[in-house]
Amino acid sequence: MSKIKRRTFMSRAAAAAGASVAASSLGLPAFGQDKVRIRHGWWGNPERDRRTFEVIDIFNGKHPDIEVVGETLGFNDYFTRLATQIAGGNMPDCIQQGYGVMQEYVDRGTMIPLTDYIGKTIQIDDIDESGLSAGTFNGELYGLTIGANTMATVFNKRLVEASGETFDTVTWTYDDLKRVAVAITKSSPDGVYGTDDSTADWGAFGVFAGQSGYAIQYTEDGKDFTFDTPLIIEFWNMWKDIRDAGGTPPGADSAGLAGQADLTVQGVVTGQTAITYAWSNQIVGIQGLMQDTVGAAMRPHLAGGQPGQSVQPSQFICLSRDTVDPEAATTYMNAFVHDPDMTAVLGMERGIPEVSAVRQMLAPTMSAAEATTVEYFDSIQGHVAPLAPPNPAGAREIEEAFERIAVNILLDRQSMEDTANEFMREARGILRRA
Amino acid sequence: MRKFLAKNAPGYIFLTPWLIGFFVLAIGPILISFYLSFTKYDIASPPKFTGLDNFDYMLFWDDRFWQSLKVTFAFVFLSVPGTLIFALAVAMALDKGIRAIGIYRALFYLPSILGGSIAVAILWRQLFSNNGVVNSFLALFGIQGPYWLSDPNYSLYTLVVLAIWQFGSPMLIFLAGLRAIPTELYEAAEIDAAGPVRKFFSITLPLLAPVMFFNLVLQMIEAFKTFNSAFIISDGRGNPLDSLLFFTLYLYNEAFSYFRMGYASALAWVLLLIIAAFTAVAFASSRYWVHYESDRG
Repeated sequence: MSKIKRRTFMSRAAAAAGASVAASSLGLPAFGQDKVRIRHGWWGNPERDRRTFEVIDIFNGKHPDIEVVGETLGFNDYFTRLATQIAGGNMPDCIQQGYGVMQEYVDRGTMIPLTDYIGKTIQIDDIDESGLSAGTFNGELYGLTIGANTMATVFNKRLVEASGETFDTVTWTYDDLKRVAVAITKSSPDGVYGTDDSTADWGAFGVFAGQSGYAIQYTEDGKDFTFDTPLIIEFWNMWKDIRDAGGTPPGADSAGLAGQADLTVQGVVTGQTAITYAWSNQIVGIQGLMQDTVGAAMRPHLAGGQPGQSVQPSQFICLSRDTVDPEAATTYMNAFVHDPDMTAVLGMERGIPEVSAVRQMLAPTMSAAEATTVEYFDSIQGHVAPLAPPNPAGAREIEEAFERIAVNILLDRQSMEDTANEFMREARGILRRA
Repeated sequence: MRKFLAKNAPGYIFLTPWLIGFFVLAIGPILISFYLSFTKYDIASPPKFTGLDNFDYMLFWDDRFWQSLKVTFAFVFLSVPGTLIFALAVAMALDKGIRAIGIYRALFYLPSILGGSIAVAILWRQLFSNNGVVNSFLALFGIQGPYWLSDPNYSLYTLVVLAIWQFGSPMLIFLAGLRAIPTELYEAAEIDAAGPVRKFFSITLPLLAPVMFFNLVLQMIEAFKTFNSAFIISDGRGNPLDSLLFFTLYLYNEAFSYFRMGYASALAWVLLLIIAAFTAVAFASSRYWVHYESDRG
């Protein structure tokens, strides 16, 4: 390139740049849009993602002035990315939260209470009282409940029937579980076992603790547990009993699944077992991944014990402190739980809707899996415990520590006493440090 | 001064993009992380200065810190020699003047390009899963393969094998080094009736020492920093039983899963010091075993 040519090129480039600056300073829209852009982040599964993106399209169609953009990740990655977004000050406007971890996010000031928007962009008159009280932290409403949720046992109907055993899906006990699981292992092809192994499942232990009389598992100051090692050992022994009888896959198989939240790796989905432990709002997602029909039951009971399972919000949709436009964001949040077209698409996938009008509207159009969900939900009323107070900070780390340390039991690497002591030492350390 | 500016100003102007990147994206964060390592910082609220608390906790209270060191050191001591030996062996085989050597070089280099990728880590997970290809292959010979990934006795070895498989870049450097050894030396040795083993230890290895040293330092630093493959294969947590709790993974989880950015920054500085110490030891030792052509008087 000659000197002159280079100079011409530079001046033309400068002129072009100047022109575009001038154009934008005159208020000419660069790409023809003047919309508020709202980001909605959630953790999900393929079925939920499909439905949620469809909901976003419906909302965008109805609100030409707002453009909602969806962001989705698996459960475990969702929270680590949220942490980087908190640090960077670029959380999505609307974030999905769960009851188990929400208190920590409220206490750290990452979310905005909805108080100022109630009666304006957000309607709460028709939301169930239980949904509102669950969304209230430190005296203020922080989240709109997307649906009511409770734990569930999800089983492969074909494999259970083939075993010839029956059980009452509401009142069954751990003894029933053992009987059914062992029978399924016997009647199924090699490599298919009765039930997933909950030895390293903190949620399952929580239910067992509730059944054993520890409905509240943390002390009031959130720095210690109300129970001690014998309860954990009892829980592990119960599962060891089922495992030794052949009701579960070998311990080493189950060890590889400890802490895995993905529906695709659960035994009932992979076909390794006939019984998996999940949540009522996951029934639709699990069915979506399977050929066989699934049924739903309560988590097994402790013979002579108390109710250990409770009804809680499946997820909240919350307003993050990084929102660019709280009016637009809360408008979207409100539509997410009220708008008939949007809630029709969401269906039961995130749990049973907490708005009665939405529930009635959905009834006639439900899929088989959704009908199973509702039927299950109705059947457990009267068999559940009241909702325990929110978990203290550090709860998620404790859950992960349990999932890790309990693998010692599945692999038979150290005694239950040592393992339980190791867990309690680490968990108490986490609570004190939080 | 004016003369200096007149002469060098254009150079510095052209350097500005790099300088900005260096100060804003490298030096800045490094200094901030140094400050954060003396604070309690939960990401959501401003950091609180806590003096040496983080280091005190790390050294005297934190079992998982020591576990992560154990895992990382074991990995470095197994994977670095493994990679170097394997890379040298392949380089020597390729140095024999095979036809279409370019194709082989490219093929052997391929894993190194893919190796750090998420896809290969996922592939590795499949290969070594309980019913994966490796165990199916072993079953052909009637061997019941172990649970490679969910048994803490084996899990680290699968990652060592993955690291060794990525021998491409040291192999290429060895190959260049081998080519630079004058053939007269081998011819002279052959006249003196030296066998292949003698030639390897008396000619090849000493003359490759500078290249070996270079590869050693680079591989060691890489191995200390291993993250991607460990993250994927251990569910992002060091599973099973912390047997894959690499230092970087522990650091990452402390920062982004458990909201302890201050503590994680302290961990990062400890890793920096460890790598610096090992590199320094390598350099100090090099005067006893690495001899450069120009040294010989």
